[in-house]
Amino acid sequence: MSLPLAALGTLAWRNLWRNHRRTLIMLAAIAIGVWAMIFMAALMRGMTDQMVRNGLQTLPGELQLHQRDYRRDPSVVNSMEPPAGELLQVLQSAPVAGWAGRVRVPAVISSERGSRSVTLLGIDPEAEQALGSLPEDLFEGRGLEGKGDRGLVIGASLARRLETALGKRVVIMSQDPDNNVAERGARVVGIYRGRLQGDEDRFVYAGRAAVQELLGIGQQISEIAVSGNDYRRVDEWYPRIAAAAGSGLETLTWTELDPFLGSMLAVQDGFTLVFMVVVFLALSFGLVNTLVMAIFERVREIGLMQALGMRPGLILGQIMLESLFLLCLGLVAGNLLAVLTIAPLASGIDISSVAQGMEMMGMSATLYPALHVQDMLMSTAVVIILGLLASLAPAWRASRLDPVAALTRD
Amino acid sequence: MFRRLVVCLLACWVGGALAQEITADEIIRKAMDHYRGLSSYSEMSMTIHRPDWERTMTMRAWTEGDKHTLVRVIEPKKDAGNGTLSVDGNMWTYTPKINRVIKIPSSMMSQSWLGSDFSNKDVSKDTNIIDQYDHSLLEHYEQAGHTVYVIQSIPHEEAAVVWGKEILWVRDDWVLLEQQFWDQDGALVKTLKALEIAPMGGRNVAAVMRMSNQDKPDEWTELRTSAVEFDLELPANQFTLSNLRNPRE
Repeated sequence: MSLPLAALGTLAWRNLWRNHRRTLIMLAAIAIGVWAMIFMAALMRGMTDQMVRNGLQTLPGELQLHQRDYRRDPSVVNSMEPPAGELLQVLQSAPVAGWAGRVRVPAVISSERGSRSVTLLGIDPEAEQALGSLPEDLFEGRGLEGKGDRGLVIGASLARRLETALGKRVVIMSQDPDNNVAERGARVVGIYRGRLQGDEDRFVYAGRAAVQELLGIGQQISEIAVSGNDYRRVDEWYPRIAAAAGSGLETLTWTELDPFLGSMLAVQDGFTLVFMVVVFLALSFGLVNTLVMAIFERVREIGLMQALGMRPGLILGQIMLESLFLLCLGLVAGNLLAVLTIAPLASGIDISSVAQGMEMMGMSATLYPALHVQDMLMSTAVVIILGLLASLAPAWRASRLDPVAALTRD
Repeated sequence: MFRRLVVCLLACWVGGALAQEITADEIIRKAMDHYRGLSSYSEMSMTIHRPDWERTMTMRAWTEGDKHTLVRVIEPKKDAGNGTLSVDGNMWTYTPKINRVIKIPSSMMSQSWLGSDFSNKDVSKDTNIIDQYDHSLLEHYEQAGHTVYVIQSIPHEEAAVVWGKEILWVRDDWVLLEQQFWDQDGALVKTLKALEIAPMGGRNVAAVMRMSNQDKPDEWTELRTSAVEFDLELPANQFTLSNLRNPRE
């Protein structure tokens, strides 16, 4: 005849609050541990997220289509016709959030005092808006005003190297499909600051139609960039576009276009889990220690309960229930604390003091913590499972006490 | 006395009218025609001077019309046979040591030609100035019995020219005395100047020309023409890749 679970629960709950100081300390330890796990996970997710997003904005898009040979030889010869028919239809339907056709060719830009090799991007500013691939920080002048814009938008660092400035003429040179020199003078209409300095030196933006005219390629483009606004779910919709594109075009997702970025994401996801386990291991020593101490203090009491006829299994169950209550309370407090501390940081944490180092990892000067429900669920699960495992040993020990020895102990 | 005054006035008027009649565009055109002829053959040496070294190359050059140029190095021996061919703005080089004709990609057009202060573009597009600029006559003055025209040339908005303006001094026998390259802030960047003028090939030509950079006064390149022939008959294959590779002279 066993005590009903409800009675055991009441007993465990009351036991928890008989020594409320011990319980509160334990609660604080669990809450802080949980908070640390969730908060650090949010920071790390924020970092990864931003790294991937930055990468995708520069790439740009989660999916790109090229002429079959373009990636091997990114020259103007390997251009493709703008999308039409079935491909255009797929591109214009959900879940595609935005797509842009761009001309992307190697070029040389020269001023009176210097010349640099750059990547000339002929873009349609409206279409690029949806991809977020335009430089956000226009530091002087204006952005491109349409695909027919004949001006150039160059990076601040490039402007410095060329010793040129806003409003001045530079010469942009490339090659047409017949390998003839294609060149034109153009005015610098805007100077941007890139997310990364490398981008500032590398990318020169011009209106797409103006670049097509310079290169003499009609309506042809070099690449189509497609975005569905969720980089983790590209695999769901990419086969449809690949099928519509046919075999003449190469359709690649961002993990293939930028393998570093893809593996970075996988590593970070794994690392977050490892980090949680490590934090919990440190925490579990405290948990085990407290429970063991609690049992040492209550040897006589447990002996009495056994003498009164409570079986070892119930003793074990009661102590496990105590830990479960403790863990649940700690988890609620920890999760609440995490939500409360992350919410005010949603507008970003300024890390500009270490921005240069972070830039090497593809990060910018503001860190946006990203709170994911899955991280909260995962830390909760980790704490409950490992916590119960940790309290199993002291509970087992309590259930094996000899009632006579326990009662006669002073 | 009165008649002499009238004649004198008349002469001045006619002279003035003549000076007025010629436009800046015509002066530039004539200067380019004068220096290249319908076709030309010249022998020259190029001296590249740097603070710590100097080297001289002897070369032969052929030109035809505005857009065909072939230059071949004769001396020193280690550079002999190196050739540069420019047709319609495209440029190829030939190096006998590797027996290859290489097309100069657009990315290298603004780089130095044979290590000199001339860029590949200077060599292949030196007549671009005629139609890619707006020319205006700033002034003209008399010097040693010649009229010298000073012309300001401003590149068209979309011309593939980095300069803000060029200023040219052209003598009335169409010798180009000086050409200055200014940046867009109004600072002088480099100067091509005729140091000696001598009659050669039936006309006055700039026998010694020096290209120098304003910022580096001790670096310059000098072109010394020793012989020149104008308006000669050149074989039809003169400006071809096969002739660049296998000279038939």
